Amino acid sequence: MRETTDFRDKSAIANALTAYRHGRISRRTMLQTLAAAGVALSATPARPRRAAAQASPTAEVADQPEEIVAWLEDVGRQFEGASIKVVSEETPPSRAIINLKQQYFEELTGITVDWEVVPLAQVLAKVSQDAASQLGANDIYYFDQAWVGRFINDTFDPRELLEQKPDLAMPNYDIDDFLQPLVQHIATYGDKMIGFPCDVPIFMYFYRSDIYDEMGLSPATTMEEYLANAKAINDAMAADGTYGTVGQMQSGHYALNCDMTAWVWSHGGSVFTADGMCSLNDAAAVTGVDYMRELQTYMPAAVTTYDWGGQATAIQQGQGGQVITWGEDFPGWDDPASSTVSGLMEPVALPANAAQRPAEEAGFEEVPDLGHQGGSTYCLSRYSKNADPAWVFLQWATSSNTQTLASIIGGGASPMRQSTFDDPRVQANAQVGIAGTTRHFPAMYDVIMNRMGTEPHLPQWPLIATDIIAVELGKLTTGGYGSTQEGMDTIKRLVDEAAAR
Amino acid sequence: MANVNRAATVDPRATGRGSVVAPAHGLTRNVLSSDRPWLWLAPIVALLLFIGIYPLAYNLWNSFREFSPMLGTVEPVGLANWARLLTDVRVREALGTTAVYVSAALLIEFALGLAIAVLFNAGPWASGLWQSLLILPMVVPPTVAAVMFKVLENADYGALAYYLQSWGITDKVEPLLGGTGRYAIPAVLIPDIWQWTPFFVLILLAGLKALPTDPLEASRVDGASAWQTFWHVTLPMLRPMIAIAVLFRLVDLLKVFDYIFVMTSGGPGTRTEVLSFYAYQRSFTTIEWGYGSVLGIVILLLAIVVANVYLRVFKVAW
Repeated sequence: MRETTDFRDKSAIANALTAYRHGRISRRTMLQTLAAAGVALSATPARPRRAAAQASPTAEVADQPEEIVAWLEDVGRQFEGASIKVVSEETPPSRAIINLKQQYFEELTGITVDWEVVPLAQVLAKVSQDAASQLGANDIYYFDQAWVGRFINDTFDPRELLEQKPDLAMPNYDIDDFLQPLVQHIATYGDKMIGFPCDVPIFMYFYRSDIYDEMGLSPATTMEEYLANAKAINDAMAADGTYGTVGQMQSGHYALNCDMTAWVWSHGGSVFTADGMCSLNDAAAVTGVDYMRELQTYMPAAVTTYDWGGQATAIQQGQGGQVITWGEDFPGWDDPASSTVSGLMEPVALPANAAQRPAEEAGFEEVPDLGHQGGSTYCLSRYSKNADPAWVFLQWATSSNTQTLASIIGGGASPMRQSTFDDPRVQANAQVGIAGTTRHFPAMYDVIMNRMGTEPHLPQWPLIATDIIAVELGKLTTGGYGSTQEGMDTIKRLVDEAAAR
Repeated sequence: MANVNRAATVDPRATGRGSVVAPAHGLTRNVLSSDRPWLWLAPIVALLLFIGIYPLAYNLWNSFREFSPMLGTVEPVGLANWARLLTDVRVREALGTTAVYVSAALLIEFALGLAIAVLFNAGPWASGLWQSLLILPMVVPPTVAAVMFKVLENADYGALAYYLQSWGITDKVEPLLGGTGRYAIPAVLIPDIWQWTPFFVLILLAGLKALPTDPLEASRVDGASAWQTFWHVTLPMLRPMIAIAVLFRLVDLLKVFDYIFVMTSGGPGTRTEVLSFYAYQRSFTTIEWGYGSVLGIVILLLAIVVANVYLRVFKVAW
């Protein structure tokens, strides 16, 4: 990377933060360093306006470039007194932006952001109600990638807004900085972009380094090796409460569908074929589900009650020797304040698929691969009554600087932008055993760019994934069907019926 | 008319108390007249209609429409949602699960509640303290109780699971919560019983304390045993209180949701999917608002029918 003045100043900020965290410098010295770096930053392209107005700028203000501050005060201030409503799931980036918005946005613009955080299912219900009534109860929606097909006509295409509203455009807002696979598979349906990517939980491979070392295991490079490692750990340690692996297998929960698709995709199957018919009962899919069921025998019995939160907690408690699951859980596992496995979990490249169906042979924009992504977008509602101030906020929330701060402050929230991955402040957090570590980001980047799996995006998918697949799989994984084939035949029949509605 | 006008024209000098009350004008007299109660009852009736009848009417109207994910709009569907009710296998399963859950919870909570109430009525040591402590479970929000018991029943670190495994009732492969779900219904019943048995205790204890002592003493004088007295004298006299307590719990149990939502999400499969949870799933997870409305109305009708059958079968007289 070419070293610029901006890079050096950001590195100085990162180094100061690291030194302060390790107790090598005092808080006062750290703030002085940050202020100096902030002044230096402002002397080049970005001088914090508030830094100029106050004698001693804080570290936080120094983190907002002057041109953004100026834009918020000039353009955003036009809408002073406006109140915009956002509805989203509780996620690390959402939480981070909620924490940032008052100081970095509301105080500078006078716009109030009323951000409602609810469980994912309720987000879907609220957005559906809003879209059906077209009343504009919320200005900005949070969409799971599984819903893009359903709400394609209910949001503005941000590329068009950037062109149509040049007077509201944030300076140097780089839409091409978003990682292309995320734009394509999370935020786009057909040729329409529905919003900006804001989060990408994605399946990664993590293992307990202490257990692998003790047992002489190596990170699996194939699916067979992964299964063998799970079995070996389980055989040796299950009696003591550490199982081969864990899962998110709660019946009727979307999480179970996420697990299943990853195993099906990694064995050459897909949910749909190109003709739009469900293929979950073909030989490849059944092999994948059998693989999942065998893995289940190396998990705690309570796994049939775990959703993603339950699974993350189980790892945190040391119940699993390895797992392929959401990368976003990793910072929590590394946090010594809340985890028994701090510094022990290691991210590593995903094992190779046993077989893989090309995306062209799958249906509804489905992309089969082991790295199941559960990304989401922030979208501007077409029915918003405050579209302009909401558009200003949306640009600020998804800008490079805000996203980078969210990755640091949000406890390692998954980056959306190349600039976030490259930012020295983010790289400075790539340390073992600290809260908010970003040391899994290189492995995450690899999965996003090379191994990302994406669910089908037909409008009926939320119903199919949760109410059919997760419920029937719940029966299958608890002995409700005589065989995997019988269960998957039922799922295929129900999915085809639902898709035809 | 008489009451209002009389009050308005009372001469304070004649009564010797109160301040002078001005005679009502003709218009006020007419408006406040008890001959026209509808006028001054109108505001509260309107309020009741708004908060009670309007949602019900809206729900009924909604049951003839459905959200279309393809169009993103709510479309009229006629009787399709009601017809679907008749062919939906999961409704039948949910009704069965609801019946099992309600019967088991009601029976156990009543039996335990009655036993504890009788015990407290005998006035054991520190019975006042125990009665106060008994109220505590009822003030815990059901979702919190469900989370608490989800931890207690966890196969690996739950205290309750540990003891059940120690006593050989469950094991790690087939725990109370998890595994194949063999014990899923008991698992969600436990917090319900913990939380609502005290309700029976309090109502029945109040009833026991209010009973006249003469019949009890007479039965003893006649040589009845303690059990005979309880069965033939106490219990019949307690019947109105039992009827109230059972009816309240019956209606409440038909709407059970929190424990299932938090602890099992209706699973494994549909093993703990009661009707109210299924209605929630349809309304808020799969966004089938019309069908969800149908299920909501079914739950209401079910509560009305079951409550009336109960009143008739057990010949409850207030």
